[in-house]
Amino acid sequence: MKPPEPITTTKDSRQRFRSDETKTLALNDPVAWLKRITVAGDACAWNRFVGGVLLALVVLLFLSGAFLAFYYSPVPGAAYDSVDFTLFSAPFGSILKGVHHYAWNLLLVLAIFHLARTFVAGAYRKPRQLTWISGVAILGLLPLFIITGDLLPWDQRGYWSTQVRMSIIASIPFAGDMAVRILQGGALTGIVALTRFYVLHILFLPCLLALLLAVHFYFVARHGFAERLNGKQAADHPIAFFPRVVNRWLVLFIVTVSLIALLTYYWPPPLGDPADPTDSTYVPKPEWWVLFLNQLVAIFKGKWAILGTAVIPGLLTLFLVGLPYLDRSPGNRPAQRKTVIVVAALLAAVMIVLSLMGYFEHFGLPRQ
Amino acid sequence: MDKLNTKWSFALWILLVIALVPMFTPQGRADRLVITALRISATPIGLDDPVWQRSRTTSIPVKGRGAFSDEAGVVETRALYTADELYFLFRWDDPTHSTTKQSWVYDGKKWHHQPGNEDRIALLFEIARIDHFATRGCAVTCHSPADLPREQWRLATHTASEKGDLWHWTAARSAPYNYADDAWLTVAGNPSGSYRETGRRKDWGEGGDVRNQTPDGTRPLYMPNPRIVPSVPGFLLFEEAAEITDYSIFSPGDVIPFRLPRKPSGSRFDVKAQSRYAEGGWTVMVHRRLDTGNEDDVMFLPTRNYSFAIAVFDDSGDDHSKATLPLTLEFER
Repeated sequence: MKPPEPITTTKDSRQRFRSDETKTLALNDPVAWLKRITVAGDACAWNRFVGGVLLALVVLLFLSGAFLAFYYSPVPGAAYDSVDFTLFSAPFGSILKGVHHYAWNLLLVLAIFHLARTFVAGAYRKPRQLTWISGVAILGLLPLFIITGDLLPWDQRGYWSTQVRMSIIASIPFAGDMAVRILQGGALTGIVALTRFYVLHILFLPCLLALLLAVHFYFVARHGFAERLNGKQAADHPIAFFPRVVNRWLVLFIVTVSLIALLTYYWPPPLGDPADPTDSTYVPKPEWWVLFLNQLVAIFKGKWAILGTAVIPGLLTLFLVGLPYLDRSPGNRPAQRKTVIVVAALLAAVMIVLSLMGYFEHFGLPRQ
Repeated sequence: MDKLNTKWSFALWILLVIALVPMFTPQGRADRLVITALRISATPIGLDDPVWQRSRTTSIPVKGRGAFSDEAGVVETRALYTADELYFLFRWDDPTHSTTKQSWVYDGKKWHHQPGNEDRIALLFEIARIDHFATRGCAVTCHSPADLPREQWRLATHTASEKGDLWHWTAARSAPYNYADDAWLTVAGNPSGSYRETGRRKDWGEGGDVRNQTPDGTRPLYMPNPRIVPSVPGFLLFEEAAEITDYSIFSPGDVIPFRLPRKPSGSRFDVKAQSRYAEGGWTVMVHRRLDTGNEDDVMFLPTRNYSFAIAVFDDSGDDHSKATLPLTLEFER
């Protein structure tokens, strides 16, 4: 019988193996690719970290949301018990629930701030129209997260706030009723509605947000940062995306997590009483971000209700989306965009006044 | 232009800080009374400890139901807590000091039960969520099963997964041993049968009382032990009682308690109490560890709120009570 041939390695084959190993295991190429990416020097400017914090908050919301999903049961009644268990019995559940609660509040505040700063800097103008529009789309997506997320704990506040929102949506002519039925799976807020809200909240909306973020970052990378308010160009000196910008973002992430964790430690997230659809005594109070819309609904009643529920919010959205094409000012600096600045300031003033009116109406009186 | 840049940035940052404030705005609340437990370091010594004055008094309306729906009152409530104990102080008007609880009285020939019962206060918390308790209070447990007439209603939950924690202070039976009987509430024993048992279950341990009667129920079985000085004047504790061997020693008008309090122990003795009847009303302090470690007790976490309800009973041995709407207990941190 012929003996088996011994396995031999030549110098060439060993070198070839090492070369393959280096390529496949050491990930040199992706790292080298990352190192080759440069971004404008302003990416690390002290006053340009809001976008980074927003990304940190989105990541934080995804991570804390994934943790909460481990314990969550999307069935009325059981949903409340599962959130209650997460909050008061699961290890670190209170912190993670609190992080999820405060992170979206902070996300919305900072997103509005980010939008305002971009507006003041005139960064929505050519060639950054699509950066602005994708940003507005992201901002428009956030309330959908809140609306779908509010119902999930199946507590009184979430349940009755959903009733108010659904009734406002239903009042929109032609499409209102259909939209409510599609959202809720019927006329009532029950198990089908909860399941749909849950799927929207943890699957469809996050996918859409990730897509919009990718589009937004693509246009940011393509067109760079806007000029500073003093007229100087942003990208004076390019810097490496990796590791400098990535490291800076990680620091931002850690600081953000730490601050929110401290916040939630001292002010635990709220969980109201279990939802009781038969209890008509509960009066939900509008959240801070929806106060001005709530006042619009309160002001325009009867046949004019459509103004508050659809026309004015719709026009406001159209104004934001169309702003890059509506603004014909000669330059980007605020002094060169007086008309747009005055219109925006008036709109902001009206929104703030309406919000304050709503605040004093709902929260202004001392607790009995 | 640099100044302009700084101005805009400054204005936007101010707006950002202002915008963060509403994050802490309350998000709505039903029209419910909230009892806030104040955090203290030292335990209150008793009913008159000055530390009670630091806590806020909440006047909780109580109302009768059914045939007694015209009855109403107020329970003044204060709450305190330490690192490991929760304290309540209740004060309510009660024109009659009732601790008789159907005592025996001898008329020279036969023994009869005296008229009169006892005053009581009961608290109900959730150990595991009771459906609609947070919005309807005791009604969901007292009116059970809902398909039966009122006289057949029993105190019970609707499903076995719902569990309540019941603290029951009774002027004749638990007050002598300075505690409130600790029980728990579950589904009625026989919910599908024609007779529905109550869902009340005793916590583990001893306590309660012994009915002082002979097997035929015509006369008392026990009397005060002549060799023991009563530790609680006016009451006959079961541990201080002696079996009656000679009924000829009694004279007309002699009174012997019918319900003899038993020495409490175990989880049944978790809720300690002090009480006083004065100036036409009761003042009762009840307190319990935040976490007893017992499955038949609600565990209090100062980070969360608790729904509960109170009922007061005036000279009553049945469900003739005045109850509150659902209340919220919150811990000041």
